[in-house]
Amino acid sequence: MIESKVVAMLLAGGQGSRLKTLTKKVAKPAVPFGGKYRIIDFALSNAANSGIDDIGILTQYKPYLLNSHIGIGSSWDYDRNMGGLRILPPFTSEDGGRWYTGTANAVFENIDFLDEMNPEYVLILSGDHIYKMDYSQLLHAHKEKGADVSIAVMEVPWEDASRFGIVNVDEENKIVEFEEKPENPKNNMASMGIYMFNWNELREYLIKDDENPDSDNDFGKNVLPMMLEEGKKMYAWLFDGYWKDVGTVKSYWEANMDLLDPLNTLDLYDKDWRIYTRTRNLPPQYLARGSVVKNALVNEGCYIRGTLKNSILFSDVVIEEEAVVVDSVVHSDCVIEKGARVYRAVVSEGMTVKAGQVIGQEGSENIYLVSEEGISVE
Amino acid sequence: MEKCLGVISGANIENNFGALCVHRPVYMLPYAGRYRLIDFSLSNMVNNGIRTVAVYTGEKVRSTMDHVGDGKAWDLNRRFNGLFLFPPVSHGLSAKRTGEIPQFYTTRDFFEQAKEKYVFINHPNILAKVDLAEAFKFFRESEADITFIYKKQSDPYGEYVNTQKMNIAEDGEVLNIGTNLGTEREFNMYLKMGFLKKEVFIKLVKEAIERGESDNLLETILINKDKYKINSYEFTGHVENIRNLKSFYDANLNLLKKDIARELFYTNGTIFTKTKDEPSTLYTEDSVVQNSLVANGCVIEGTVENSIIFRGVKIKKGAIVKNSIIMQKSEIHENAAVINSIMDKQGIVGEGIRIAGSMLMPFIVEKKQVIRKD
Repeated sequence: MIESKVVAMLLAGGQGSRLKTLTKKVAKPAVPFGGKYRIIDFALSNAANSGIDDIGILTQYKPYLLNSHIGIGSSWDYDRNMGGLRILPPFTSEDGGRWYTGTANAVFENIDFLDEMNPEYVLILSGDHIYKMDYSQLLHAHKEKGADVSIAVMEVPWEDASRFGIVNVDEENKIVEFEEKPENPKNNMASMGIYMFNWNELREYLIKDDENPDSDNDFGKNVLPMMLEEGKKMYAWLFDGYWKDVGTVKSYWEANMDLLDPLNTLDLYDKDWRIYTRTRNLPPQYLARGSVVKNALVNEGCYIRGTLKNSILFSDVVIEEEAVVVDSVVHSDCVIEKGARVYRAVVSEGMTVKAGQVIGQEGSENIYLVSEEGISVE
Repeated sequence: MEKCLGVISGANIENNFGALCVHRPVYMLPYAGRYRLIDFSLSNMVNNGIRTVAVYTGEKVRSTMDHVGDGKAWDLNRRFNGLFLFPPVSHGLSAKRTGEIPQFYTTRDFFEQAKEKYVFINHPNILAKVDLAEAFKFFRESEADITFIYKKQSDPYGEYVNTQKMNIAEDGEVLNIGTNLGTEREFNMYLKMGFLKKEVFIKLVKEAIERGESDNLLETILINKDKYKINSYEFTGHVENIRNLKSFYDANLNLLKKDIARELFYTNGTIFTKTKDEPSTLYTEDSVVQNSLVANGCVIEGTVENSIIFRGVKIKKGAIVKNSIIMQKSEIHENAAVINSIMDKQGIVGEGIRIAGSMLMPFIVEKKQVIRKD
């Protein structure tokens, strides 16, 4: 239950170039995940489940699939008369057209939109992460502390801390320092890229940031440090739960594999916090006589005659007889033909693995990414 | 097909389905893992371009309201036309007379005000992916007042006794429709669907009200058959005529045959239904699933054979499910066995319990029934 007016701004324009061919045609938020979702579904569903009525989605990189996936937001009940979802791409104006140059700039360019909404709070979200979070708790903490900005943080393993933006706090969780990817981190509380701002404060600093020609127009790098420097009240809000930023093909594969553990903390089966997505209206999956399916997540429309172990199938995948798929993630509309063998692979949408073809290697450390451009070893 | 209204009229055969139809009309029976029977009728109409559909819901309207709602799943939630739900009204005329004619009569405004000039009527307990655009073309080009759709059904074992049999003249004119007694190896089975000119439909309904001969539309048509040109259109695809428990059970298990599943699920467009946002189905290390259709949202740790598993079902370790239909959110606990059975929604078969029917008469677990050792 959200009692004050919050507008969420969801940053969904990132390319995610380290995901290689997975983002060749789509932005990172549109990359398929978990058997039936796209990565952005997590942030969108969190927003819907948290009771946020207004959400703007900032798109930029290859937005076609993302736009058609989101549509008017009906999968998340964002097709409304009052409030709802708006897609906010870069646009031209009297002083020419501009691309969004950074996370803060993307929001700055849409100040008119936010002014019209006139919210008390603006929640900045990223469409790149896989997690379940109740943003109303973040808002509650934000109000309780009387903060200008609240940042969701989580504890990361110490050895990984130098890969993140680290937040140093006092005993009241008030932020005293930001360190962007520090070599010797003072603690292991990493910013999750989820910020709750008072809109009037954010508005002021977005304009200030835009006036600075040396700024990269990035929240983490520029806007937040500037606000801290000028004595704004900033608090960290500690999140404890599953969170993944699938930056690379390997971490993408691992995050998918996490779901095969029935006790995984993401728990997609939780009825009180459903993850919604656009559905394809496919019939149930069929497992033929002679099929072997062990430790696998399988979606609608799949047709399995062969062997499937430790793997995730998206919708409408066909595994023909004598074909073997092990330790793999297979996207929608793929066909694994008779006798083909696929190990430790990520197979992109619509690919056919020819009869008898062997991809990957059992027990290898590598992950094999199969796309129209061939097979790359990660 | 923009010129044609779609009408769904439920068949009054709930008593044939025992416990499964205590709370729901026949057309709301769960089918094929994630659908209701009515989904096939609604989807086929929509996929063939019908944009205005009236559903005569019958008395047990609650499950219909929940499932069909404003028709969003079928794109029938439209500002113009779209879906019209007609629950039975029981005042005035239709309090004294039951049957579909009084229902049609009391909603005659819907027909009179619609700009469509033709009516397609069907009963969703018969599943057939008829190419309605093609059938409509035939109906229009033959200049008939009424076209009934039938299938040449082979029936060497008399399984189709009591279904409706159509007697057709050589030129395709419908002579009569009666009850099949199984006297022929092959007969023309009436699929309870057909096209009518709207003016003919309205005239028939009004006359039936005035004369009081019958409150059933088909009877009314047959009484007046000499006044109209009534012909027939043959459908050659697969038909499931779901008229009792056994045919319901068989119609589900028939989906394990590839050709039948392909035709019902994909030919002439896919089937739409209310989505449930379940995640994918998880098969654990111990699962053994053979020749089964499984919907999303299930967690399968046991053995499943020749069965239809609906959304959100849990089958625990050591459990065995065979030749069965397990409906939404049912649970089969450790080392239980469910053989030749139909489990209605949210039933539970407790640890170690064994239930079995026969394939001729499946055992029924009622909705929310819990079977446990005490």
